Amino acid sequence: MTHEPYDTLAATYAVGALDGQERADFERHLADGCDVCEAILRESAEALAALARSGPPMVPPPAVKEELMRRLAATTPARRGAARPRPLVWAVGTAAAVIAAAAFIGTYVAARYEAQLGVMARESAALRAKVEREMAVLREQTDVYANAADLLRDPQTQIVTLRGLGPSPEATGRVVWHPVKGGYVFVANLPAAPPGMAYEIWTIGDGAPRPAGLFQVDPSKRGAHRIDPVEGGKPVKVFAVTLETSTGVPTPQGPMVLASAK
Amino acid sequence: MATIGADLVRQMAAGDREAFAVFYDRYAPVVFPLILRIVRERADASDVLQEVFWEAWRDAPAYDAARGSPEAWMVTRARTRALDRIRATRRRGDTFVAPLDEGLAAPHESAPDAAERAADRGTVMSALDRLPDVQREVIELAYYAGLTQTEIAERLKQPLGTVKTRIRLALERLRAVVKTSA
Repeated sequence: MTHEPYDTLAATYAVGALDGQERADFERHLADGCDVCEAILRESAEALAALARSGPPMVPPPAVKEELMRRLAATTPARRGAARPRPLVWAVGTAAAVIAAAAFIGTYVAARYEAQLGVMARESAALRAKVEREMAVLREQTDVYANAADLLRDPQTQIVTLRGLGPSPEATGRVVWHPVKGGYVFVANLPAAPPGMAYEIWTIGDGAPRPAGLFQVDPSKRGAHRIDPVEGGKPVKVFAVTLETSTGVPTPQGPMVLASAK
Repeated sequence: MATIGADLVRQMAAGDREAFAVFYDRYAPVVFPLILRIVRERADASDVLQEVFWEAWRDAPAYDAARGSPEAWMVTRARTRALDRIRATRRRGDTFVAPLDEGLAAPHESAPDAAERAADRGTVMSALDRLPDVQREVIELAYYAGLTQTEIAERLKQPLGTVKTRIRLALERLRAVVKTSA
């Protein structure tokens, strides 16, 4: 079968206009893994970004940035960025130094063995990039664990069990929750979200479910993510996780994969 | 490829607030006109802008440079959130289509500030102008007004297939422009 019908579907999907059964079919096609469609969607997103850039830039009201920086300072522990020794990160940092040294020696050797120069330089650059990526992930993880451990010392903190539902009955989860400080969700046995999708966590109190963050799981089917506190410290009765598009949605639309008992 | 933006996101993922400030200065002037174009009200646009950057800070660890530039990451997010906003404010009514139509008609009927609106439109018209009218029209209805293909077909009284073809051709042309200018 030719790919052409999908070109049209992909373009329509890229501007958010695909609906009905066609949308469901196309999303299934994407979930099956289609490099051509992935490329069309990626290039379309870049083209639409270029469209946004093509007009004169407009400086937003300064109050927006001020408010953001204030929120950031208020909800992000100062230690998230710097200081505080983190053994795991330190270990990775050492690994990076070793690789950097290897790259240096590699360059020296390559100077003598001209033909190998390109190959080794490329390999070492790729390795360094990989280590940097892994470091960023590890740093994020250690922060989550450190902060969750801090929360556990607080007598107000509760632990809530999540049970797998529908598409993922074997999935399990725990929420470490503090009514004022927010908390963290830890999941296991949850399959990776299909391309373009992510898991979204919801806090449900008396009103409508509130979106509380997007996360992905790692190859071992585990994940950990911060849950923002509910404004005004209103009680949360249920925590739930649904599968949504990777940019998230304001109200749950996808299947529920984990939820706490009442 | 531009990697400064990707580096900034990586630093944000590591909790670097200064990187976030630089990231904001770099991308807010790009996404703000887009948000304003969709939601129309400056106060609403400021709210959405804040939400969008707050999410970018929160989701920075999930950003994957292989899947797109930080700019596309932000523009996609900004467009989605801006449309969420207009849908939320119009939802209390009956059907979904009618309120959207009403919103789309608004700029022609009530004009709080004609000059500002013209400037807003100019923002996106410049690149859209290179498209034939019928292609530009479907992009405006889909991308900026958030209509689905079915709604666009009804509105333009054109067959669904025609609408889809116009969208495809328009995007092909926009992609070609980006490729040649990249």
